[in-house]
Amino acid sequence: MENKNELFAIEGYTNEELFSRMDHNDLESEKITAPRYSYWKSVFRVFFHKKINIFILFVLALVLIFTYVYPALVDYNPNANLMDSTSKHLSPSDAMAKFGSSLSWVLGSGASGQPTFDAIWNGARISLSLALVCALINITIGVLLGAVWGFSKKLDLIMNEVVNIVGNVPTELLIAVLVLILSPGFWTMVLAITATGWLFIAYFIRTQVIIIRDREYNLASRCLGTPITRIATKNILPFMTSVIVTQVAIIIPSYISYEVFLSYIGMGISDMSLGRLINAAQSSMLTPGWGIEFWSPVLVSAVLTVILYVAGQNLGDASDPRTHM
Amino acid sequence: MKKYLLRRILHGLVSIFLVVAIVMIMIYSWLDREVIFASDPQFSKMSNNQQVVYKYRNWQNYGYVDFLQYSDYLQMLANNGEIDEETRKAAFSFGRKPENDSEIVTEYIQKFEAYCKENGYTVQRLNAIVAGARKTLAPGGAQQLFAYRNRSLLQRLWTYFSGLVQIDNIHAVEDEEIGERKLTFTWYDPVYGGKKFSPAVMGNGTKHKYLLYCDSSFPFIHQNMLSLSLGKSYSVNKDKDVFTTMTRSQGGYVPSLITYPTGLVENSADDLHSATYVAGSLGSSDVNQERFTDNYTNVETVRKNMSRMGYSFTIGIIATLCAYLIAIPLGIWVSLRKDKLADKIGTCYIVFITAVPALCYILIFKAIGALSGLPTIFDMEKESTNKLMFVLPIVSLALPQIANLLRWLRRYMIDQMNSDYVKFARSGGLSEGEIFSKHVLKNAIIPIVQGIPASILAAMVGAFMTERVYTVPGMGGLLINAITAYDNGVIVGVTLFYATISVTSMILGDVMMSLVDPRINFTAKAR
Repeated sequence: MENKNELFAIEGYTNEELFSRMDHNDLESEKITAPRYSYWKSVFRVFFHKKINIFILFVLALVLIFTYVYPALVDYNPNANLMDSTSKHLSPSDAMAKFGSSLSWVLGSGASGQPTFDAIWNGARISLSLALVCALINITIGVLLGAVWGFSKKLDLIMNEVVNIVGNVPTELLIAVLVLILSPGFWTMVLAITATGWLFIAYFIRTQVIIIRDREYNLASRCLGTPITRIATKNILPFMTSVIVTQVAIIIPSYISYEVFLSYIGMGISDMSLGRLINAAQSSMLTPGWGIEFWSPVLVSAVLTVILYVAGQNLGDASDPRTHM
Repeated sequence: MKKYLLRRILHGLVSIFLVVAIVMIMIYSWLDREVIFASDPQFSKMSNNQQVVYKYRNWQNYGYVDFLQYSDYLQMLANNGEIDEETRKAAFSFGRKPENDSEIVTEYIQKFEAYCKENGYTVQRLNAIVAGARKTLAPGGAQQLFAYRNRSLLQRLWTYFSGLVQIDNIHAVEDEEIGERKLTFTWYDPVYGGKKFSPAVMGNGTKHKYLLYCDSSFPFIHQNMLSLSLGKSYSVNKDKDVFTTMTRSQGGYVPSLITYPTGLVENSADDLHSATYVAGSLGSSDVNQERFTDNYTNVETVRKNMSRMGYSFTIGIIATLCAYLIAIPLGIWVSLRKDKLADKIGTCYIVFITAVPALCYILIFKAIGALSGLPTIFDMEKESTNKLMFVLPIVSLALPQIANLLRWLRRYMIDQMNSDYVKFARSGGLSEGEIFSKHVLKNAIIPIVQGIPASILAAMVGAFMTERVYTVPGMGGLLINAITAYDNGVIVGVTLFYATISVTSMILGDVMMSLVDPRINFTAKAR
């Protein structure tokens, strides 16, 4: 090869036309050419690759439509039939015969003559909203604080003690105190659940950060002088996506369960949530013919939580880059 | 290791102390004090000034305030010898209104106010409430004069923790008429008629009459010298200590022939070994005079059923044992058949337990149990004849535990099986069985071992929902009931108990883990 320039020469063009001089750029020279890879595209490719996930999403959509769209469409008034003693505790067939065959009456009527079907979805709307709001607040604070916590040794010492202490203060007591000081409304319950809830998520994230923090690639990155904030956002956060999604999948059903539990012990919110419905219909469980009033909210809450959990878990699996191969 | 353990225990104690402090702040400072009377029938029967004084007296009893009535102040002066009995009587009755006070009363009320000011009390004088044209007193409307002082958190914490462990001694009883304070030792316990060989230590001047005694129930030698007082109950179990509520046996009386100190032999359920001192109780009651020779008349009764903790622990420990015995082999089996049918069924079950609200699956278990003819309601009266009552609570407790263990064991097993050292062992020619039992299982079981102390101790705490659904008279409902009834002494006591259990189980878990796995060393410096 006598002349290097000849190799790149194209007829009719001069070298000046074909090439331009580039300045040396530190940042650009760090970039490594790799096949095109879009993280979220891969996540959804893996997620929809499993046929069962499409089915789960379909059921989830159906449940969400019933929880959020359906109550807005029907005019549900729990006290509409309060004075009519013949409308109480009706079986589905009796209720349909009395009020006409609409979707509202497919599960019969409850103790105050309200349509059980409407009551359940109204309750589900309240319970799910509570769980979603609490999860959003707790996850946001928990992830941000957990990341800082994982990196700071000083904070770690203090916060571990805080977790030890706060973890042993009964949450029910906090709720009872807050409900007495404020009122047993929706936002009081949100405050009560989020007052300490973020701490445990932050603790979980902190543990995950510590596990990944000292891996070799981060050590190498630190040696090369990458600032901590960049390590946190570029090296660790992508790794944590699947962990966070899995955590969300666990906590949303767990908040729904917790709401059911609180209503069961009589500390729940004042609105007719799923938990309150289950609690109110407890006496109907043993009465022959009324069992449907009790079992339908139980089953709906079970379906709601299971479907949210499974969808979240599978999304969490798909968001783990190791499954993208 | 010893040094490390000591440090952990110290840290734990500090945590427990702070937990109690936080709970105290919450219930004594944030909560409205009036709520403790919500479920007090006596309170609602009272009215006007009497009710106010009742409130303050109870607030004193349950640790909110220091309370001083004018009459008590005069009595105190009389006891100190500052005034004689006549002056006390003259100053005693103050007027319905301040204007009606006589001179001597005004003088002493001023002294009272000065004394209160000096000691940080707030004086409150309630004028008499009269009703009708004839100016008679309204019910509970008598005039009152008293002073109160709020207790500070530090004071409250100090009183609580210093009184936590009580050691019975011969100066425990303050009564002057007790006679010679002494301890006596006998080989022949008078409770058994004084003829049977049974050593006992008895005291005069102590709170309990029997400090050390033997009987036929486990652990055969019993003591009353050391007692825990976690907090006095206001409404859950009135005036009883939380620890007593947890550990005292329940249910129907068990009468037997007993010999009282006077020699009277009677068929009764009284437990003479539990006798405690009540000042003046002998003279005030004919029934006591027939039976007892001294003021140690307050006795407990022998009951046939287990205590709250007993029930919770029995059910909990059997459930835990079953859970470990089932979950560990099942977890191994499932992870060996990863992605096959057994694994899928196992995963479905785990999802069911994790996602479905606990209340829902307990009720579902109950319904299934009822269909198969098992008793769904726990009844203490039938306990001895019908052991089947225990089945459903145990199953309901064990099934979620199995799911929980199964989930983690499967996770750890599969992680271990995919690790490099297993591949290396396989390439080195080890048989699958050998790899499995000698390497994978040993490593996967370590985190499971850490949870063992926690699950055993958690059995003592009880399970709230299971116990409530099946009406088991256990520990589980104690805290929730106390919170809903605002029974503050119980809340503090139970929180302290729970915190101690949780701290202990964490420390024990780490100790267990380091015993099982020699690689785990808490004392070595972190890299």
